[in-house]
Amino acid sequence: MLALLAQTQVQIPEIVWSVLWPIVLLSIGGVLLITATSISPRLRVGSFPAAMTIVLAGASLVTLPLIWSKVRDGGGQLPVIADAIRIDAFTLLVTGIMCASLIVVSLLLDDYLRTEGLDGPEWYVLLLMSATGGILMAAANDLIVTFLGLEILSIAVYVLAALHLRRTKSQEAGFKYFILGALSSAIFLYGIAMIYGATGSLRLTDIAQFIASGNSAGLSPLTESSLLLAGMAMLLIGFGFKISAAPFHLWTPDVYEGAPTPVVAFMASAVKAAGMAGLLRVFIVAFGVVAEDWRPVVGAMAILSVVIGAASALGQDNVKRMLAYSSIVHAGFMLVGLYAAASGAAQTGTRSVVFYLFAYAVMSLGTFAAFTLIGGRGDQNHSLSAYVGLSRSNPMVASLLAVLLLAQAGMPFTIGFWAKARVIIAAANGENYVVAAVAMVAAVVAAFVYLRLIVTMFMISEPDEAGEAEASGAQLRISRSGLFALGIAAAATMIWGLFPGFGGDWFGEATRALLELR
Amino acid sequence: MISSVLLGAETTSFPVLPALVAIPLLTALVIALIPGSRDDYLKITALSGSSITAAFSIWVMAAFETDDSLQFVWERVWAADLGASFSLGIDGISLFLVVLSGILFPIAIMCCDPGHDHKPYYIWLMVLMAGSMGVFMATDLLLFFLFFEVVLIPMYFLIGGWGHGDRVFAATKFFIYTMAGSALMLIGIGTVAIGTARQTGVLTFNVFELAEAQALSPDLARFAFIAFALGFAVKVPLVPVHTWLPDAHTEAPTAGSVILAGVMLKLGTYGFIRFGLFLFPQAAKDLAPLFFTLGVIGIVYGAVVATVQKDLKRLIAYSSIAHLGFIILGIFAMNTQGIEGALLQMVNHGISTGALFILVGWIYERRHTREIAALSGLQSAAPIMAAAFTLVMLSSIGLPGLNGFVGEFLILLGAYSAAKWWTVVAVTGVILAALYLLWAYQRVFHGKAEGDNATMADLSLSEGLSILPLIGLIIFMGLYPKPVLERMEPAVETLVAHLEANIDGFSEPGNDGVESPADAEDLVKAAIHGAEGEEGDH
Amino acid sequence: MLLNQFLGLAAILFCIGVYGVLTRRNGVMVLMSIELILNAVNINLVAFGAYQGDVGGQVFALFVIAVAAAEVGVGLAIVLLIYRNRRSIDVSEADLLQG
Repeated sequence: MLALLAQTQVQIPEIVWSVLWPIVLLSIGGVLLITATSISPRLRVGSFPAAMTIVLAGASLVTLPLIWSKVRDGGGQLPVIADAIRIDAFTLLVTGIMCASLIVVSLLLDDYLRTEGLDGPEWYVLLLMSATGGILMAAANDLIVTFLGLEILSIAVYVLAALHLRRTKSQEAGFKYFILGALSSAIFLYGIAMIYGATGSLRLTDIAQFIASGNSAGLSPLTESSLLLAGMAMLLIGFGFKISAAPFHLWTPDVYEGAPTPVVAFMASAVKAAGMAGLLRVFIVAFGVVAEDWRPVVGAMAILSVVIGAASALGQDNVKRMLAYSSIVHAGFMLVGLYAAASGAAQTGTRSVVFYLFAYAVMSLGTFAAFTLIGGRGDQNHSLSAYVGLSRSNPMVASLLAVLLLAQAGMPFTIGFWAKARVIIAAANGENYVVAAVAMVAAVVAAFVYLRLIVTMFMISEPDEAGEAEASGAQLRISRSGLFALGIAAAATMIWGLFPGFGGDWFGEATRALLELR
Repeated sequence: MISSVLLGAETTSFPVLPALVAIPLLTALVIALIPGSRDDYLKITALSGSSITAAFSIWVMAAFETDDSLQFVWERVWAADLGASFSLGIDGISLFLVVLSGILFPIAIMCCDPGHDHKPYYIWLMVLMAGSMGVFMATDLLLFFLFFEVVLIPMYFLIGGWGHGDRVFAATKFFIYTMAGSALMLIGIGTVAIGTARQTGVLTFNVFELAEAQALSPDLARFAFIAFALGFAVKVPLVPVHTWLPDAHTEAPTAGSVILAGVMLKLGTYGFIRFGLFLFPQAAKDLAPLFFTLGVIGIVYGAVVATVQKDLKRLIAYSSIAHLGFIILGIFAMNTQGIEGALLQMVNHGISTGALFILVGWIYERRHTREIAALSGLQSAAPIMAAAFTLVMLSSIGLPGLNGFVGEFLILLGAYSAAKWWTVVAVTGVILAALYLLWAYQRVFHGKAEGDNATMADLSLSEGLSILPLIGLIIFMGLYPKPVLERMEPAVETLVAHLEANIDGFSEPGNDGVESPADAEDLVKAAIHGAEGEEGDH
Repeated sequence: MLLNQFLGLAAILFCIGVYGVLTRRNGVMVLMSIELILNAVNINLVAFGAYQGDVGGQVFALFVIAVAAAEVGVGLAIVLLIYRNRRSIDVSEADLLQG
């Protein structure tokens, strides 16, 4: 018996644990957190879960430079677990975004749960799991891992969206998100099966090689293989849903409106960044060779997203819905960058998307942090009228929010400008003038939406109009942790706006990892 | 020629150009830190900060060497992978616009109080000053675009927060119009940089390197020029996209109107010279007839609409459209006289329209109305104000001996040799300007003073002091424009030579009519002396 | 090999599943329709894996089964939550959010 076992021993791939610290810390830490709080109920109340989440995320952030030095010595990319996962600058960048998002959301959530009278470490555990999933999506070199990452990310967020047990709106949002999310992951999965059938492999690098050699040998013109095309289309649907790009955006405003605001902050920053990261990894690494085939679809999605997002944002009176539509515009902008990358501007295009997903994560975190603070008890103050006279009742929050909104509008000396400028320059490089023009016009329309909010905060101050709001503004209790979170986001917005090269050339390294290291 | 611009860069040890941006920003910071109990310090802080900046800008003018080089260059790598650099420099084209911004801000701060929320008001003004300084000094396309857009934010808040009437609507309209215009400009910037990089292999946004390379294909260059031109046309504003201007000017607080007219409208025309002509000579030449037409339409339309205005401030706003039409005419004449005249007229318009807005602001402060019909006979109650108004108005009309004349004359001279019939139509604008301004003056200041009009206070000492520098400049530049013209000339000549070198079959048309700019100056002088006698009475 | 037949079966299951998600008003039925799609994927994966003589497809199918279980678990929990609050699991009655 033992001999038999020895004979059929499965070869266990070597795992380089030392570069997997963030994944280990976040996932194991989450498990430990729920275990500890189950054993000792005293830990359930108070700020222990939030503090532990922040410590875990902070520790993961600290490991990033150490891992990077290892990765750099290894040539810029380390295959781990039998090459199913690639640790490179891109993975590390997305890990950084996930951890930053975790920290900010935990700061917000701590106070949110207290005012709502909810408790429980479940929120934080789910956040930690979801972030782990996001990192896996970015790191995946195997469609199985991509899918697992997507599901770990999504399932946790479905629960988070519905976790406000007393708000029916929250559950409805969760249910809606779940149904459409599950459908889209199922379609995504069907797409993976197609790709597998067409290329015989699930590994991204192998798929790329297979497609490339199929082309050069003149054998089975795989670029025209209907299986491959259908598979890519279905993958795009799945990713499009996660990054809420039109026409797969319909859930976004409803879910953003219904879900607890700190969770929306996480969805807008981390989930969107992870979805975009997965999209980049799969489509640049595996399907970069057949960019001509998926390019038109991405272009159409980009145009639809910016146009529909900007146009629909105009009519909204609920700020969360407004920003939901604006997030669709941002997704469209990222797709414009991807479209440029597919149109011959591989380097500038990819880089613009990499920068954009970082920038959008920063801006959306800050914006929704402000909304959490202003939303108050029961997430009630999200209509535009709640913002009347905010510059008087809470000048600090109003100014920081204004900075973030101007950044989203792409105003100079904010991170949002560089994000937009890079995408547009990339589009010019890919000679996508029409797409670039449509995107910029949509950006102007979207800017009007942000201005509307700023006007409400700063310029409508007649006592008769503002009387009621100032009364509610006086009741508004701004938590220190929340204000701190908002401050971090606004500071990051300005720092990278003034010094776009701040902190070294991560974005260039991440781009290199996607494009050159195969 | 261009290489001399590149190589002749003179660097000074003290980074004076960054200081011009940094001092207002620091002042804004200081103002932000002043505790709410000491509101009385706000104005004096803002005033001293802007005055120091103004002093520096004047020092720059004094230390400026009269040649075509880019001076006081300050350059730092910014976004390395994009080849974007934080580079500032001043040459004869930008020099006086920087000085103009430097002078107008302290005056705008001194002349008028915001009435409420002093602190944010002065912060926004100082941020605006930093932006306006930066935009004229930037020699990197991306940096220029950044400053070009960033001035929108403080101006938007100034109009929306401290304006009159339907201020929020005016502010938003202003913001969206300008942003829409500049949206396509960003694509243009990308196109130029990328198109040049394809040829030269180096991605850069430095305007001199891009202009020298001239690497774009004609079609692409035309596309990029149009993308730039749209952004500038909204700022100028040219006629089809001008409608934000009367609203913004009228509803803005006085200081906002002064800066808007004096500095921000110049962004468009400066952009046309610095970027439009310089980067895309051939495309600009091809489309010049279009801009002549739009400029002339602006001149006539602005004048006609100004004539029928009931609101004094709105009248001045429309007169701006007419004046800017002249400047466009001069720029697209593409010869030394035209461009030089346009540059000079940009400064003149800033001074005289700024002064007009200040005076109207004072009238409004005293009488709480700007309706021409509600005002009359102010001359008897406020003779000093009337005198100041007369002088400024005559300068705006372009009376010989005052600054407005020199610029307008040079523009017409340059434009006549490039586009005869357009110029003929434009001259009617001069006559109309005299008509609407004199008529307005007559209705407001002459006649019988009744009620509040009879008891209106004259200028106070501090008010008089704040308008005095502008009046001094109006007279000085009218009588002795030489120091200004001679500093502009080398840079303008280099630009014209660049145009000649890069436009097929184009030699400066001005050469047929007037031999050299020196002659132009003589002509101006002769004209001034001839008209000396007309000045002075009203 | 009968690859096309398997693919056809999977495609039919997929279409039934999508149809179910889009038309069923009962929350539980919607969950079942999603299960149908996932099983269609499993058939595809196993068929392709067998056709190509690669175990990857079958391994993936196992993963999908596990994930599907987790997903349905979460889905049922949310449906239950809504049922507690509203005494109904009719999807079309969930209309508090302006769609």
